[in-house]
Amino acid sequence: MAVFALPPFPDLSIGPDMDLQLALIFLQQGIASGLVSGSVYALLALAIVVIFKTSDVPNFAQGEVFMAAGYVALYLFVFQKMPIWVVLPATLVVAFLAMALFRRFVLDQVAKSAKDLVYLVIATLGLSYVLKGLVRRTGFGDTPRSFPALVPTDSIMIGQASVTMLDLAIFGTAVTVMAAFFWMFNYTKTGRAMRAVGMNPKAAQLVGVDLRRCHMLIWGLSGVISAIAALLISPKILMTADMGSIVMLAFAAAIVGGFSSLPGAVVGGFVIGIVENMVGLFISSRAIVLAPFLAILIVLVLRPQGLFGGKLTIKKV
Amino acid sequence: MSSPPLASSAPVRRALSGPALIGLVAAVVVTVALPVFTSGYVVYIANLLLVFVVLCLGLHIVIGETGQFSMAHAAFYGIGIYASALANRAVDLPYPVAMLFGALVAGAVGLVIGALALRMRDIYLALATFAFGEAMQWVFANWDSVTNGPNGLRISPARFGPIEILSDKQAYPFVLFFCLVMIGLTVAISRSRLGRSFRAVRESEVAAMAMGIDVRRARIVSFGLSAAIAGFAGGMFGLFQTFIHPDSLGFQTTILVLTMVVVGGLGSIAGAIGGAIVFGLISEVLRQAPQYQEIIYGAILILFMMYAPRGLFAFIGDRIREARHGR
Repeated sequence: MAVFALPPFPDLSIGPDMDLQLALIFLQQGIASGLVSGSVYALLALAIVVIFKTSDVPNFAQGEVFMAAGYVALYLFVFQKMPIWVVLPATLVVAFLAMALFRRFVLDQVAKSAKDLVYLVIATLGLSYVLKGLVRRTGFGDTPRSFPALVPTDSIMIGQASVTMLDLAIFGTAVTVMAAFFWMFNYTKTGRAMRAVGMNPKAAQLVGVDLRRCHMLIWGLSGVISAIAALLISPKILMTADMGSIVMLAFAAAIVGGFSSLPGAVVGGFVIGIVENMVGLFISSRAIVLAPFLAILIVLVLRPQGLFGGKLTIKKV
Repeated sequence: MSSPPLASSAPVRRALSGPALIGLVAAVVVTVALPVFTSGYVVYIANLLLVFVVLCLGLHIVIGETGQFSMAHAAFYGIGIYASALANRAVDLPYPVAMLFGALVAGAVGLVIGALALRMRDIYLALATFAFGEAMQWVFANWDSVTNGPNGLRISPARFGPIEILSDKQAYPFVLFFCLVMIGLTVAISRSRLGRSFRAVRESEVAAMAMGIDVRRARIVSFGLSAAIAGFAGGMFGLFQTFIHPDSLGFQTTILVLTMVVVGGLGSIAGAIGGAIVFGLISEVLRQAPQYQEIIYGAILILFMMYAPRGLFAFIGDRIREARHGR
């Protein structure tokens, strides 16, 4: 039967005899571009993981929070012509409030009426639809636009890779934000409270952590991190209401990093960024879309708890 | 994942008295007589709703009964659609053979995914199945020589011996029949030893293991069955549709089915069926206002999770009970 003679898959093979010189240039360019896009994935992965670590909820709306924050900035800057020193903080505050209030008024209620985590996850799916719908409704997403770059986009050569000042600014800001967050999470009292909530919420409450406030703070900060990611990347991409799908790469990064490790998420972000660029340069741009999903599948099949994840624990009765 | 509320048959039996029975009979009469007195469009919607009922039954098996968060339902549905359409085109046999072929292919892929997913739980399982679903959609859209890629595939008309199905009205009795068969099958599975082992796994894998249930087998089988039912729904789709495009087989569709199951009430077969019909109708109405569609969709999901996590019917039942007891 004809059905069983399966025809070949689309051709994804490497071009013939790519010479070594070219391969080396590609390699350097791939790493440089990968580190830049990877820093954005790392930020988003960090935003996802910090929530998962403390609430056990994978926030499926993270990509849409990222997208909506980008549009808030676009609206204030391009349509309202506000000065940039107002736009940046305003965007971050909006993202913080939106996420903190979602946690406080929606998720707390969901958690009250249903014990199961699945319901919380589905509620975040609902949020992702609402945000996407709202942005589409405003019509700003109808024509793809870019946020104007605040840093010159002249290219400079590092080794044999060409990068722009903007790229360097993205990378630098992302690393700074991540470092600041690590410091907060690991060395301040607030951070210690957050870690305590992640380990054992009841015990944390017993020693005086305000659970509700702590969760609001975490979700709010996660929103801020996503908003920063959006501000960084939006001069480089065409913004549409669907740009939140970039979050898949962040999920892939989080999984590579073990899903509950902050440094893991960051490393995962850079790994995914570099792999993505390599696939684009060496294999085919058609395969780029597929790469994160294959990465997720392969990593999870081989190591169900992620590359950097701890031992797998089975929930008892 | 711990416990979505158990579906017990007692409230169903209680509800089947007096006015409820009349309502049920009326619903049956309307369902059967539908093609006689309505337009082709209404029948088309009815066909589509019946397909979604079957999709919900499939998702119910894996999420509702076994508690495994699968997010690849659209992929299995798509495999069923393509496999049955291609089989129907390749060989000259009655269409049910092609449908069974579609269900078998989807079921086989489901078994493989179930086996691969054995070591994963909760979030990891959700993400892995999600990734598989997206990867499958990519395959549908790029495997040009088989699926005709982004141009979509034309589905040739289904034939039952001498009868060739060319319209929605002609297809309706068959779609209805297959849907009822699938409902029967799901009830039978749910009441069997296998179904009980599924629910035991859902409640606690450790306790199930201690009772001598082969947890690994239960998980793999539930994935396979769920995928096969979704694949069969794909075959039903081919009964009245003439065209399939990979765009309609993405995450959106998985979420649509998940929403239906959740709106109906996770963990009950009646909920899955009712949810498919109620939410199917809602989303059909929303199609009239596309600019609000996503917002309303999301709002429904959020509101249900906030105030009626056990589903629409449990929610209404609770309100009625409260009213009766004068609270």
